Amino acid sequence: MDLLGNLALGFGVALQGINLLYAFFGVLLGTLIGVLPGIGPVATIAMLLPVTFTLPPVSALIMLAGIYYGAQYGGSTTAILVNLPGESSSVVTTLDGYQMARQGRAGPALGIAAIGSFIAGTFATFLIALAAPPLADVALKFGPAEYFSLMVLGLIAATVLAHGSLIKAIAMVVLGLLLGLVGTDVNSGVARFNFAIPELSDGIGFVTVAMGMFGIAEIVANLDTAEKREVFTAKLTHLLPTAKDFKDSAGAITRGTLLGSALGILPGGGALLASFAAYTLEKKAAKDASRFGKGDIRGVAGPESANNAGAQTSFIPLLTLGIPSNAVMALMIGAMMIQGIAPGPQVMTEKPDLFWGMIASMWVGNLMLVILNLPMIGLWIKLLTVPYRLLYPAILLFCCIGVYSVNNSTFDIFLMVGFAVLGYVCVKLACEPAPLILGFILGPMMEENLRRALLLSRGNPMTFLEKPISATLLAIAALLLLVVVAPAVRQKREEAFQE
Amino acid sequence: MRRVALFLALVLTLVAPVPAAAQGAVPAYPTKPIRFVVPFPPGGPLDITARAIGQKLTEAWGQPVVVDNRPGAGGSLGAELVAKAPADGYTLLMGAVSTHAINPHLYARVGYDPFRDFVPVALVAEVPNVLVVNPALPVNSVAELVALARAKPGYLNFGSGSTGSTGHLAGELFKSLAGVDMVHIPYKGAAPAMQDLLGGQVQLMFDNLASAAPQVKAGKLRALAVTTAQRSPAMPDLPTVNEAGVKGFDLSTWFGVFVPAGTPPEIVAKLNAGIVAALESKELRERLAAMGAEPRAGNTPAAFAAFVRAENAKYARVVKESGAKVD
Repeated sequence: MDLLGNLALGFGVALQGINLLYAFFGVLLGTLIGVLPGIGPVATIAMLLPVTFTLPPVSALIMLAGIYYGAQYGGSTTAILVNLPGESSSVVTTLDGYQMARQGRAGPALGIAAIGSFIAGTFATFLIALAAPPLADVALKFGPAEYFSLMVLGLIAATVLAHGSLIKAIAMVVLGLLLGLVGTDVNSGVARFNFAIPELSDGIGFVTVAMGMFGIAEIVANLDTAEKREVFTAKLTHLLPTAKDFKDSAGAITRGTLLGSALGILPGGGALLASFAAYTLEKKAAKDASRFGKGDIRGVAGPESANNAGAQTSFIPLLTLGIPSNAVMALMIGAMMIQGIAPGPQVMTEKPDLFWGMIASMWVGNLMLVILNLPMIGLWIKLLTVPYRLLYPAILLFCCIGVYSVNNSTFDIFLMVGFAVLGYVCVKLACEPAPLILGFILGPMMEENLRRALLLSRGNPMTFLEKPISATLLAIAALLLLVVVAPAVRQKREEAFQE
Repeated sequence: MRRVALFLALVLTLVAPVPAAAQGAVPAYPTKPIRFVVPFPPGGPLDITARAIGQKLTEAWGQPVVVDNRPGAGGSLGAELVAKAPADGYTLLMGAVSTHAINPHLYARVGYDPFRDFVPVALVAEVPNVLVVNPALPVNSVAELVALARAKPGYLNFGSGSTGSTGHLAGELFKSLAGVDMVHIPYKGAAPAMQDLLGGQVQLMFDNLASAAPQVKAGKLRALAVTTAQRSPAMPDLPTVNEAGVKGFDLSTWFGVFVPAGTPPEIVAKLNAGIVAALESKELRERLAAMGAEPRAGNTPAAFAAFVRAENAKYARVVKESGAKVD
C-alpha cells in the first residue's frame, strides 16, 4: 500500500480552501457546543443534516467529523471549570481537572488537556492511515464473550477511581448498575423498573444522570457551603502549563494515547472505557498516587489523551466496515447515504479521496483545535470570575436545554432534577458520582453481552474461558482485583490495630 | 428561491385533487410552522427521508416544516404524541411498519390505536430486507440454508436489531414457513448485530437492504434472497425468498405519513399532494434509491389506509406465531 501517496491525496483534499473552511466551521461549532453543558454533537449534527444535502460529500463529512472531535475538546472545558462533564468520556476529567481549577490551576489543566488531545489525535490519525483495515479485523474478533470480560475488567477498574472509601465506591458502582437496569431488557423484551412510565421504557439517558449528579448537585452543594470564590481566581499566574507540568504529564499522555487508540477501535463503549482505563492506569503507575483526586495533572493528561485518541480511532469501524460505533457515527452514516455513498468496506477503494481526505482532515482539524483552544483558555478562565448569581442560573438553563435536546422530552428534565437531589445527598455522604456513572454505563452492556454470550454458547459458561481474548481479559481483571483489595485489607488491619 | 417556491405552490394547487379545490372556502393552510414528528433517533433512512420531504414542503408552501425526533419504545412514544395532538394538520407523524403494524401486537400496552387515532396520508417508501449470511457458512442458496438448518436443528443463530423488529419477525416467519429451528439473538440496534454477523458470532440476518448491500458488494457477506414479494431494483439478480422455495414470504420495512384522526379532508388531500410531489422529484428519488428504499409515490390516502390494514393483519399473525412480547 502506498501510504505516502495516499496521505498526499488526503492532504490534497483536506487542504483545499473549501474543505479547510468547513473543517474550521466544524471544529469551532463543535468546541462551542462542547462547552455548553449537555448540548451534544448528536442534536447539532441532526439539525445540520439538511444543510449537508447541498454540500459536496467530502466537505459535509469533514464538517460533521469536525463537530464531533471539536465537541470532545470542548467537553473537557466544562468538566475542568465547573465540574460538568459534557460528554461521557470527560467524566473522569472532572476528578482532578476540577480540583486543579479550584486551586487556581485551571489554565494548566485546560492547556494540558488541549495539548495531550492534540498529541493523541495526531498519533491516532496516523494509526488509522497506517493500519485501519487490520485493526478493524481485530475489532471483529470481539464477540459477546470478549465484550463481557472487557466490561468486568472495566468495572473492577472503576473502584480505583475513588480516592476515598473503597466500600463507598463499590456501593456507588452497584447503585449505577441498578439505575442501568431501568428500561426494556434487550433479550426478553421485559420492562424493568419503569413503573409503567413509557418514557422510561428505553432506560435513563446518560446526559440526564450526568447533568443532575454532577452539574446541578455541584451548584446546590456550592450554595450550601457559601464558599469563598477567591480560591478559583486568586493564583491565576500561569495560563499555560509549566515545564514541570509537561515533564509530569509526558508519560501520562503517552500511555493515554496508546490505551485510547487501542480501546477506541472497539465499537460500543471503547472510547468511553479508554478514559476510565487511562485514569486507572495513571493512578496505579504513579509512584506517589496520593495527589490523585486532589488536582494531579496526570489525572487530566492521561484520560484526556485517551478519550481523544479513542474518538479518532472510533472512526475505524465506520470507515472500514461501515459500522457506526456510537450515535454520532450513525448520523455520519446517514449523511453518507444521503450523498449516495454506501458506507461499507468499499469506501476506501471506491472513494479514496473521501477516505483519505477525511483522515487528513482529522489531523488538520486537531491542529486547528489546538490553535483555537490555547488562546481561548484565557477567555474560559474569565468565565470563572463571573459571579455565581449569574453563572449558576446560566448553567442551570443550559443543563435543561441540553437534557431536553437529547430526546426532546420534558420528562427527562424532571428526571434530571431527581438525580440532582440524589447527587446532593451523595455529596453530603462523601460518595463520588464517577463510579456510579461507570456502573450505569457498563452494567447494562455487561449484562447484555453476558446473556448474549450464553445464548450463543447455549448456556455453557465455559465460553468465557475457552476464548483466548476473553480468558486473558478475565485474568487481568482477577489480578487487578487482587491489587485493589490487598492494600485495602491491609489498611483495615492497621486501622484495627491502632484502635 | 422565492420564485421557485411560488412556482411549486402553483403547480401543487393545480395538481391538488378536485374535491379540495371544489370546496372553495377552504381555510388557508399552512399559515404557521408544521411539526413533523419522527418517532426514532436521527440518522436512519426514515429520519433522513422525513428531513428531505420537510425541506421540499417548506420550499413549496413557504412555511417551515420542522422535524422533531421523539424516539422511544420502538416508535410508540412519538406515535402517541401525534395521536393526542390537535387535528389541525400542523402535527405530522412519519409512521412506520413498527408503529402501525407491529407494536400494537407486540407491546402489552400502547398509548394509541393505529386506526382510530390516525388518518393515513401517504405511503412514502418501502425498504426490502435481505437474507444475508456470513460467507464462512457453506450455503449458497435458501434451499441449502434450509437443508443445513434441518440437518442441525438449533445450530444456526440469526441476529436482529431488537425483539419485534422486522429482522426478528422475518426470521420467525422463515422458521415457521420453512419448518426449521434457529435461535434468535437480539441486539441493541442493527449496527452491533451487523458487527457480530461480520465477525461470525451469528451466521445470518435479515438486514435492511441499505446497510447489507455494501457488505455484499465487498464480499464480506453473502446475500441469499430479498424478503419482498417482488425482486428489488437495487439487486435485480437476487431471488425473493418466495421464489427460492419458502412460499408465502413477503415482508418489508415501510414508512409513511399520518395525521391525527379528525384532520379536515382538504388538509389531508393537500398534504398527500405535497408529499407525492416531493417524492416525484428527481432529487428525492435519487436519495431514496441511495438508501435502498423504493419510493411509493402516486398513492392516495385511501390506498395507504388499505395497505396499513393489510400489514397490521399480517403482523398480528406473525407476532403471535413468533411468541415475541414486549411489556
